[in-house]
Amino acid sequence: MVLRRDDWLDLARKVDWTPRYVDERELFPEEISGRPWLTHDAWRNWNEAYRTTYREYVANQRDKDSAVLGVRAALSKPRLFDELDPGWVELVKFHNGAVALAEYAGAVAELRMARFGRDSAWRTMASLGALDEIRHTQIPLLIGHDLLAHDGNFDWTHKAFHTNQWLILAARHLFDDMFLAADAIDLAIQLNFVFETGFTNLQFMAMAAMADRAHHHLFEKTVASIQTDEARHAQIGHPVLRTLIENGSRERAQYLIDKMWWRCWRLFLALSGTAMEYLAPLTARTRSFKEFMTEWVTEQFMKNLAEFDLEKPWFWDLFIEELDYAHHSLQLGLYTYRTTLWFDVAMPDRAERDWLNEKYPRWEETYGALWEQLEQRWEAGGEANTLAYGLPALCNLCQLPALFIRPGRNTACTVEMGGRRYLFCSEPCRWIFEQEKARFADHKSLVDRIVAGQAPGKLTDLHRWMGLEAPVETGKDLRRGLDRWRLDPVPTA
Amino acid sequence: MRVYLFGFASDDFLGRVIVTPDQRTVAQLADQLVAWGLAPERGGPVTVRNEAGDILDPAATIRAAGLGNGDIFKVERR
Repeated sequence: MVLRRDDWLDLARKVDWTPRYVDERELFPEEISGRPWLTHDAWRNWNEAYRTTYREYVANQRDKDSAVLGVRAALSKPRLFDELDPGWVELVKFHNGAVALAEYAGAVAELRMARFGRDSAWRTMASLGALDEIRHTQIPLLIGHDLLAHDGNFDWTHKAFHTNQWLILAARHLFDDMFLAADAIDLAIQLNFVFETGFTNLQFMAMAAMADRAHHHLFEKTVASIQTDEARHAQIGHPVLRTLIENGSRERAQYLIDKMWWRCWRLFLALSGTAMEYLAPLTARTRSFKEFMTEWVTEQFMKNLAEFDLEKPWFWDLFIEELDYAHHSLQLGLYTYRTTLWFDVAMPDRAERDWLNEKYPRWEETYGALWEQLEQRWEAGGEANTLAYGLPALCNLCQLPALFIRPGRNTACTVEMGGRRYLFCSEPCRWIFEQEKARFADHKSLVDRIVAGQAPGKLTDLHRWMGLEAPVETGKDLRRGLDRWRLDPVPTA
Repeated sequence: MRVYLFGFASDDFLGRVIVTPDQRTVAQLADQLVAWGLAPERGGPVTVRNEAGDILDPAATIRAAGLGNGDIFKVERR
């Protein structure tokens, strides 16, 4: 007689062998299973909210892949790509480069939990999570490969994470901290609880809604399909957090949440905030980045914290203040350093400025004059007159330009350690650094490397060092295209 | 000696790296930062402060003003 699913699933989920040849501490060493080290008795009640079997998993994933591949086959005509808004195409290029191989790092993280997670049900969920993340790598690589026929820079879908491009260095710094250099407990809190339940909705569901309105249905289907996986394996975080709190580690749990909230916020304002409000066509914008953040990230996350009686991160007021400004400041950085990007960036036109001012009532007052100066510089001296030539100050924690939060409101700060002075864009970045000095102190930002002679200071050489072949791969003004001067040979002394 | 500093002008949107001999004056340092910004043509007086918020003497050298490698300075344009 074949057992029904519910008759065997709990037994299969909870196969926690009793080790005979090694003790439990050797089988699950603290260094990689995580702190606090607790005996298995403490983890015995680890339970995921939505249980699944491998058979169900395979069937569901097959259906989801069929749906994505069906849309890919149906929408493969070149004219459908040609009809996409040019800004939207750049958004997809930006997204693919920043996300595709980060998902692969996510697979490594899930596999670590699949081996070193402290309960069998956790390890089972993480095994499925690793399969998810491999899928999330392969689908964008496949779609990115298809798009190479239209635009060669889509090879940054795969290439980006193998380069020293400055945005990618920032992303890798975060993902190394969150995924690759984390133990199983830290992973569950940082990756599953904060990143996946807190933030990925924004990148995947909000982007899916925008893709629908931008008529890019393959992208819509892809990111929506990915998010359904994220929602399943994200549930790993809750029972791990509960176990920590029940066993006297509330303070550590709060630290991991605060730290990763801030780090994720930094990356998402750079990636999602700028893309949603300066690359997505107006017709695709349903809500502002701030509105998405407030509804999909902040409110939901507050409920998660309340469930565990945890506090809001200590820097919450700064985060709320930054919601109105930080990604707008970063967009100016992207624009004036666009030759160091693999995608094109836009100067907002009149209609977009009106939209931005409607959503952010102080936008025109804060940023309008800066964009007008850039317009005037284009008119007076062409593209060369609108680019930044000096190096931006980069934060030694988030690795992003120290530009927050807006002109006239500068939160940069420093700390001296071991004869070296470190720069931070903000107090939270400095605070994180100071909590784990040994973890972060040896890393050199791009500016540190240039100052130390480990990276070239000359822009043309720096392009090559960052993996960008100028001028074909380097970012341009979205509407003005490649200025003639960038095709001229670089004069030498 | 050449030093690298991080300069923030009040009408700019990001911090910029300035590499300069530390025998130059604070006023020259401020001019250099403003020249890298978006509105160098707009003149006017400036106030230069260190990270702690102390006003620096524009006639003092960078070294005498206490600025060294990796320090922050802020230029307030009025």
